Amino acid sequence: MRVLVVDDDPLAAEMTAAVLEDAGFEAVQAESGTAALEVLSTDPSLELVVSDMNMPGISGLQCFQALRARGDERPFVLLSGDDPQALRASEPGLDACVRKDFDLESTLGQAIADVLAARRP
Amino acid sequence: MAFDAKRFTARFVEEAREHIRRIEEGLAGLKTAPADQENLNAIFRSAHTVKGSARMLKFVSISQTAHHLEDVLGAMRDQGLAYSPELGRLLTRAVDGLAALIEGIESGADPGDLDQVLCADLVAALSAPGAGPQEAIVPAASPPDSGLPGKLAAASGTAPEVGFRSPDTVRVSLAKLDELIKLLGEVVSSHARLRQRLQDLHQIERLRARDLELLAAGDDVALSGSLRKFGRDLKDDVLAQELLMEELHGKALVMRMLALGMVFDSAPRLVRDLGRSLGKEVECVVSGAEIELDRQLIDRLGDPIVHLLRNAVDHGIEDPATRQRLGKPGYGTIRLTARQDAGGVAIEVGDDGAGVSLEAIRQQAVRKGLMTADQATALSDDQALDLIFRPGFSTQPIITDISGRGVGMDAVKRCIVDDLQGSIRIETEPGKGTSFILRLPLSLAVMRVLLVEAGGEILGFAAQQVAHLLRVPADRLVLVGDRKAIVLDNEIVPVLGLATLLSLPEPGRRLQASPLAGGAHPGGGLLLVIVQVRNEKLALAVDALVDEHDMVIKPLPPHLAGMALVSGMVVTGQKHLVSILSAQALLAMAGQARLDVRPGGAGETGRLSILVIDDSWNTREIEKDVLEAHGYDVTLAEDGRDGLQKALERQFDAVLTDVEMPHLDGFTLTATLRADERYRSTPILLITSRQKEEDKRRGIEVGADAYIVKGEFDQGSLVDTLRALLG
Repeated sequence: MRVLVVDDDPLAAEMTAAVLEDAGFEAVQAESGTAALEVLSTDPSLELVVSDMNMPGISGLQCFQALRARGDERPFVLLSGDDPQALRASEPGLDACVRKDFDLESTLGQAIADVLAARRP
Repeated sequence: MAFDAKRFTARFVEEAREHIRRIEEGLAGLKTAPADQENLNAIFRSAHTVKGSARMLKFVSISQTAHHLEDVLGAMRDQGLAYSPELGRLLTRAVDGLAALIEGIESGADPGDLDQVLCADLVAALSAPGAGPQEAIVPAASPPDSGLPGKLAAASGTAPEVGFRSPDTVRVSLAKLDELIKLLGEVVSSHARLRQRLQDLHQIERLRARDLELLAAGDDVALSGSLRKFGRDLKDDVLAQELLMEELHGKALVMRMLALGMVFDSAPRLVRDLGRSLGKEVECVVSGAEIELDRQLIDRLGDPIVHLLRNAVDHGIEDPATRQRLGKPGYGTIRLTARQDAGGVAIEVGDDGAGVSLEAIRQQAVRKGLMTADQATALSDDQALDLIFRPGFSTQPIITDISGRGVGMDAVKRCIVDDLQGSIRIETEPGKGTSFILRLPLSLAVMRVLLVEAGGEILGFAAQQVAHLLRVPADRLVLVGDRKAIVLDNEIVPVLGLATLLSLPEPGRRLQASPLAGGAHPGGGLLLVIVQVRNEKLALAVDALVDEHDMVIKPLPPHLAGMALVSGMVVTGQKHLVSILSAQALLAMAGQARLDVRPGGAGETGRLSILVIDDSWNTREIEKDVLEAHGYDVTLAEDGRDGLQKALERQFDAVLTDVEMPHLDGFTLTATLRADERYRSTPILLITSRQKEEDKRRGIEVGADAYIVKGEFDQGSLVDTLRALLG
């Protein structure tokens, strides 16, 4: 399964990608929300988005809202350096909200598993 | 399969450093434009990124510090927390703390513990908008190293470990590379023209063969005509080639240039760290970091500049209480400035501290026995200031051999003047501050070289070491004692024949043995090259001036690098190798010649006597050799007890002693000698294989004048220190 990782910090992007690859996903990186919107519009093989919240230009949240506005319903997991609960509350449509942390390996993996299970018909 | 965080650690450090640099730049920008939203945003983002990555890698202390920093920046951006100089300094402190933690990772250790005081101050800044935590940043109120978490503060209790690094690679802009390649293309076509000249020459040879046949007819017009044309063409081509090569060389050198930022960028943090370790709040303002210099210079500029900065923080800037009493701001300011200056670069390290006390220098000179009180009073201010560059001249209670190469300011001067062909000057105003002004060439690669002939040899001088060229009638020389000298601008400069000084054989054609080998010029009078190093001058009589040219000075190969007399080689147009003489070495040789004369003239009594005490035969003998070569009269003792006995039998001018010895160690020996009336002020040097702070302190306590570490021991530092102490 192919996952798009969106983060303006290439180091964080690569670490996130490494976590995903360890969990058996194929990770593709985008360096901004705009780049993500572009890739997602042309590449239907990307089945899930994991995006950083705080980025220059459009934020992860704005990226999510833009996707939904154009009818793109692919699962979207938001990563944040801050408290994820507040974000989740502000945008209930998000599939998951995970804190960027050293235990990302388990938290992100769990979140994705939950999201995919919830989506399964 | 587990996610391996270690894999990312090096990347993290590298990128975090870059973010730190950006934050520092941004904070500097806030000083002039406190409301610059874009700048605030950029700083905020860098802090945020560091926080995020640190969290993922479980660097908790880094992540937390960055988090608090981010909060304050966020409040400035979104909640109108106003910038103030106090807040600025707090933010700077936070960045420094962050940087120290990051460097902690780099050196292999854990990033270190969270600096609770710093974090509390950052939180306090949030709740007191606009005010900033006043009392927290007055350094006297907090432990001196509270802002220095982790390794730095723990290093030694003294100044933090600091230094500059420059990379092994150089980034070259494509435009510069294109220019270089274009020029090389022209060199290639110029070479084609020379090939054409070769063909012309063949043609001329054929003509000549034909002309020889026609010679009977007396017709050689064709040959001489084409020869003249050939000569003209060749000359043009050679000139064109020369211009091209010069330009090519220049362009290639430019590629090796690096911005002074390499050295300057880390200065502000270094200064703050040093200041904090001494309980002072010091700011460093940098300008001119964009100026480019040859990396040969940049690479070697780091140490002297660090030393000058350290010196300014340590001795220049007063402690906060004193500053406040004097009505100065509690925090000191050091300006590190570079500017283009007449074909070179001037770098200034200036502080707003107490200034150098000329009176203290004069007193110190007398106390060290360098001169009498009358002589010290007679010194001009500049001469007095120059004393601080004397080896071993320090206003600190004890001399410590910092790097094995020399002692303090002396090493700075040696590096700038001798190695980098620059100059150094001090300006100081009591109560206002001190500036050290360094002047440096842009590059060391090409230098003006003066070629002379002496004793049948061609020899070279680097032009900046040549103060004057003179031709004077022989009767202008004066006799000072038994030595020849010349009076120049009110200064008596010793005169020596260069060939004599170098022990070159006299050219056979000179029948009359001249008192000054060389120099007696057929044109009448003497040809003198006056070389100068710092304030010392020496006039060298030579046979002829040969040439003056910009040349590439090549360093000696490693196995010859120890030759002090030859600082490098140049290749002349005739493909001869010519030695470039080092003026320092010539001056030293001239001084040595003086010493060699002294024992004979003044007798044994004129030599200074030194007692050398060491339980190692090897060490004793080496020290004896070195000292005798410098004209001292040496007596040896095998251990402390033997040493004490010999010292009390007869008065020595100085005592050199090992520390660890059987029967009586060096500390006890020193203390015992100091208790004796005759040795109260005699220089005593401790020479040891241990470099320990506590040993040094003990050395001070028992009254030693210097502490030299054997491992870093070289002849120069021993003799220089001794000479400084003996005057």
